[in-house]
Amino acid sequence: MRFSFFHLMPYPHLPDNFDDYPSSSLTFPNKYFDPKLGNQLYHRYLDELEFAEQVGFDGVAVNEHHQSAYGLMPSPNIMAAALARRTERARIMVLGNAIGIRGNPLRVAEEIAMLDHLSNGRVDSGFVRGIGWEYFAHSISPTKSRSRFNEAHDLIIKAWTSNELFQWIGENYEYRYVNLWPRPLQQPHPPVYIPGAGSTETMRFCAEHRYTYMSVYAPTRVVRRWFDGYRQAAADLGYVPDQEKIALSVPIYVADTDERAHAEAKPAVEWLFYKGLKQPMEIVNPPGYTSQGSLRGLLMTDRKPFSALSYSDLLADGYAVVGSPATVAARLREMYDELGGYGQLIGLFAIGPSTHEQTTRSTELFASEVMPVLRPLGVGADA
Amino acid sequence: MGAIAQNRGVATHTPAEEYLDLADGRVRLLRAGHGDPLLFLHAAGGGGWLDYHQRLAASFEVIAPDHPGFGGSDDFGDVEAMDDLVYHYLDVIDALGLDQPHVVGASFGGWIAAELAVAAPHRIRSLVLLSPAGLRLPDHPVPDLFLMPPDQLVATLFQHPPPAPPQPITPDVDAILAAYRDQTALARFCWSPYLCDPKLERRLRRITAPTLVVAPSHDRLIPVAHARRYAERIPAARLTEVDDCGHAMYVERPAEFADITSAFLLEQSLNGVSR
Repeated sequence: MRFSFFHLMPYPHLPDNFDDYPSSSLTFPNKYFDPKLGNQLYHRYLDELEFAEQVGFDGVAVNEHHQSAYGLMPSPNIMAAALARRTERARIMVLGNAIGIRGNPLRVAEEIAMLDHLSNGRVDSGFVRGIGWEYFAHSISPTKSRSRFNEAHDLIIKAWTSNELFQWIGENYEYRYVNLWPRPLQQPHPPVYIPGAGSTETMRFCAEHRYTYMSVYAPTRVVRRWFDGYRQAAADLGYVPDQEKIALSVPIYVADTDERAHAEAKPAVEWLFYKGLKQPMEIVNPPGYTSQGSLRGLLMTDRKPFSALSYSDLLADGYAVVGSPATVAARLREMYDELGGYGQLIGLFAIGPSTHEQTTRSTELFASEVMPVLRPLGVGADA
Repeated sequence: MGAIAQNRGVATHTPAEEYLDLADGRVRLLRAGHGDPLLFLHAAGGGGWLDYHQRLAASFEVIAPDHPGFGGSDDFGDVEAMDDLVYHYLDVIDALGLDQPHVVGASFGGWIAAELAVAAPHRIRSLVLLSPAGLRLPDHPVPDLFLMPPDQLVATLFQHPPPAPPQPITPDVDAILAAYRDQTALARFCWSPYLCDPKLERRLRRITAPTLVVAPSHDRLIPVAHARRYAERIPAARLTEVDDCGHAMYVERPAEFADITSAFLLEQSLNGVSR
């Protein structure tokens, strides 16, 4: 099992009247961003990522979101650059660049190649489409999302791997000269990660390219269907995916006792699901963002909105894992069985308004007492 | 062809559902009435046959197609933007064997109608634009339809909303998917630039058809300044403003707007040779 520390970099200082706003994203006024507090947060959060490497995590992860209090990383590559020369061993995981909304995907190929050199070959390159609201925020038609994602991906991979200048003419992008300087250090190119949220297109895409498929917020029973979908897509292609290519991402909070863990985690987990992830349907799923087939699947899936789930529902369903080291290890082991196995655990340890002290303590306890228990799991092709 | 009632009484015009085969897909259309042909281009919310159409059918042969990707029409994946929609409707007019129909467009459909009249002025007998979208007036912005939850959408479209239909106990998945498909087609044509063609305003001088622009004075979706600008820029245009009515005027007050539309078009029919 490989373990990563994933930071979302939330802005937790929401106003008392936050409930008057439809979401923490897109239209939530930026007057509520206090530059002084924000400045402190960036440094605190980067310290936490560096700390995770020091206590033994195999990877540190950042992501991309725009115009949102949910996450303060419009450019994940800048955060990865800040980590590249301050860390030595951990993988630097960009999970990922939202290539569906980028105007110039060649820039992503260039930046990741640079990061690969800055990190001495430690960068993992995730690609995401971008959440629905980001198509509003960057004026990109969501009806083009899948096509832009696929084309940007193909262009970036070709730019990384080609030794010759080439011309790219596609539905969305035209480049008469693609000639990447620098080429990436890792050959043929950095490992690719793709977060999936139930879309069958994504499962098939990941399996075809043998990329790592990672989950996002969902109940364990639903993640099981996604992982099975990925395994089935691989089986259809005639292979069994390495467990390392299947990654569970989940918020985790550890304290010395269950009582203390719940007392500290409850407000943080509730913040994440009730405020950070407060996103009405209109902004999550704009027209054309989801295919008719995937939308039918979503509508037929019996899933409640986050706001209808209590703290204990969230824990019982597997949306988050909270407790003492022994409880957390047992719960993740149980989820390992329920999911048919996974080879990577991408933990979200800095949850909502949890403090720096709480976050580092939870991180350290996880590394010292939970990791050793789970480490032997999820190696090789057998679940 | 369409079921043409002999009786000019409104209630007897039941629309016939037809399918029109084009090279790249099938168009579903509704047709009823007799008289000069009238092509009706529907608004962003989708096609269908309402009391307004029924009333127009008393004086015209009303032909109401679903736009590409809407309702019963095929996706027409190559129709990506407004220029493609214009060619699509020129194909529709040809395939229907129409020489020079009256064209009535509402909101998004009004934008298509204006673009059609710009591109092929000689193919339009006369033009009625009901609070048309399509112009970029930064001082009079159009609120974001795609961002509105359903209750806000109703409040934006109507001054006097009709009674809400009873909500089904379990969501109708097929109905949700159909609505999402309609909105996906709309987003394909007008996500960005949002609901407009920045070049349209300076091209409106090309329109030769007699034109009536109709708008509610307090339209909360397309501010009335848009209708006024259309009427200023189209050479032979007249403007009618109506008080105390919402953007969805032909849904909210069908009789009044059918009368306004029919009176203008009949006047044009009398002015020219019937085609």
